[in-house]
Amino acid sequence: MRRYAKLYWEFAKNQMKVMMEYRIDFIIGVLSVMLEQFASIFFIKVVFNHIEQINGWSFYEILFIYGIAATGRSIHHIFFDNLWTLGWQYIRPGQLDRLLIRPINPLFHIVADRLHQDGFGQLIIGLIILGTAIPQLDLAWGAVEIALLVVMIISSGMIFVAVNLFFATFSFWMIDSLPVVWAVFNLSDFARYPLTIYHKGIRTFLTWIIPYGFTAFYPAAYFIDKSGFRELALWTPAVALVCCVIAYSFWNRGLRSFASTGS
Amino acid sequence: MITVENLQKEYKLVKRDPGLKGAVKSLFHRQYETKKAVKGVDFTIGQGETVGYIGANGAGKSTTIKMLTGILTPSAGKVTVNGLVPYENRQENALSIGAVFGQRTQLFWDIPVRESFNLLKHIYEIPDQEFAETVSMFTEVLNLEPLLGVPVRQLSLGQKMRCELAAAFLHRPKVVYLDEPTIGLDIAVKVRIRKFIKEMNKIWGTTVLLTTHDMQDIEEICDRIIIIDEGRILYDGGLEEIKVQFGQKRVIHFDLPELDSPFILPAPLLGMAEVLPASEGETKVSLSFDHERVKSSFVISEMMNRYDIQDLTIADPKIESIVEELYNRREQGGTYEQVLANS
Repeated sequence: MRRYAKLYWEFAKNQMKVMMEYRIDFIIGVLSVMLEQFASIFFIKVVFNHIEQINGWSFYEILFIYGIAATGRSIHHIFFDNLWTLGWQYIRPGQLDRLLIRPINPLFHIVADRLHQDGFGQLIIGLIILGTAIPQLDLAWGAVEIALLVVMIISSGMIFVAVNLFFATFSFWMIDSLPVVWAVFNLSDFARYPLTIYHKGIRTFLTWIIPYGFTAFYPAAYFIDKSGFRELALWTPAVALVCCVIAYSFWNRGLRSFASTGS
Repeated sequence: MITVENLQKEYKLVKRDPGLKGAVKSLFHRQYETKKAVKGVDFTIGQGETVGYIGANGAGKSTTIKMLTGILTPSAGKVTVNGLVPYENRQENALSIGAVFGQRTQLFWDIPVRESFNLLKHIYEIPDQEFAETVSMFTEVLNLEPLLGVPVRQLSLGQKMRCELAAAFLHRPKVVYLDEPTIGLDIAVKVRIRKFIKEMNKIWGTTVLLTTHDMQDIEEICDRIIIIDEGRILYDGGLEEIKVQFGQKRVIHFDLPELDSPFILPAPLLGMAEVLPASEGETKVSLSFDHERVKSSFVISEMMNRYDIQDLTIADPKIESIVEELYNRREQGGTYEQVLANS
């Protein structure tokens, strides 16, 4: 574990150097993601200029959900973005072979190969949104709440990672599963709003099949009393853990299959 | 130390009928066929050997190397490298092997070569002192000094390949697999790379398994060659022995300036030597003969008795022509056994 932490740092240092080298890319990347997020928040704001509440949820409550989603997603975006490229950057051109003959875990290698600058834009926006929403929510904030919020956000990030890893793993059989990963990832947009506004089928799907509900809505619901989801919300870290275990086992299975078929 | 016993690999391929119709058909109803890439290969390579693993395109070379490195799991058979089964202990095995795959880079694309080496140092956990010594030695032998600060993506092919070689040997592996390390390189870089490989083999006793289509690589680096064709071993033995076994055909070129009438083979050589079609002018004659049956000196003395020879050269049997002949014989049909028996 310590070895991998040190190794990650060595990889990250180089990534940062590259980022600094491409200064303009860095700035454009960060700004474009921030702009994208601002646009969707602006849209919510416009909606709320006309109505008071959506299904009992106020503007700031929705903003709070949104903030958790954005911050959680930024963890995935900064540190695990390379999972997207498994098919076209590693499997199709045969680069995975190169990782397989190194004395380190190949998944670690892929993840460490990239630190994504655009994710920092996401992180900044997420924090701004949270900072805006929380003071308006009339909640009592103590150390426990803050610690819990951090745990929830990390769990949210890990769920994003696990879902992407799971679907990226299909690349071992189909060369590049990017379209599938992308389609599934887009479902996470639903999870940025209160799940109670959706049909029951969608709600169940986003809770138990692809648990994007735990990336934002349930964690936020924990802090908002009236939601009625406080107990379920506490399971968020466990859900994240289970997702990671399932995704990683599936990854290992894909890797074994890759070793027996080749590319 | 590498042992390979009855190593086999088969791939499952989708069988497709030609045309769009075939493509649509295969969408709904798939038929598979198995292609045997490696059909039972056995060999043992000792520590410090330099082995050329050669064969035509698609002969099964790369598949074998992938199994030796642990990237692929064999369909049948057994491999051990330094006592480990590579595909079962891939990461552990990786610590003591190095590899260069001709067209793929081992280096990190966006960062300078020096930083690439530094990352490899951490990946392989090379001690500081050892790392510093190795890098300074490689820098000298491969002339890397001007390249160290350049990002890998900006290097030319030859520059990149020198860095690749250095990266493969950086952790002083016991075994190095080189899959076409000289492909597409100019002669000066080739020479430098060959020299480097030989030197590493000498200093550290690194076992080298090399695949290449450049027979000069083989002649200069390898003591032993294994020839594979259609997934089977055609020849395994010393480089000198193959010249003896397959290269008994010798050719001597004679320069006969005073030759004015068409060349006639001296009577004692009839049926023993063959006149090769003349290439340059009328005054040069080349005789080909079986080195086992006729001595070179006999051919020369008979020629001297009959003609006024100004100059002669005895062509050295080139591994290239031997291998070419082996492939040709295979292509003209016949089983491996026949090919070997006829040669």
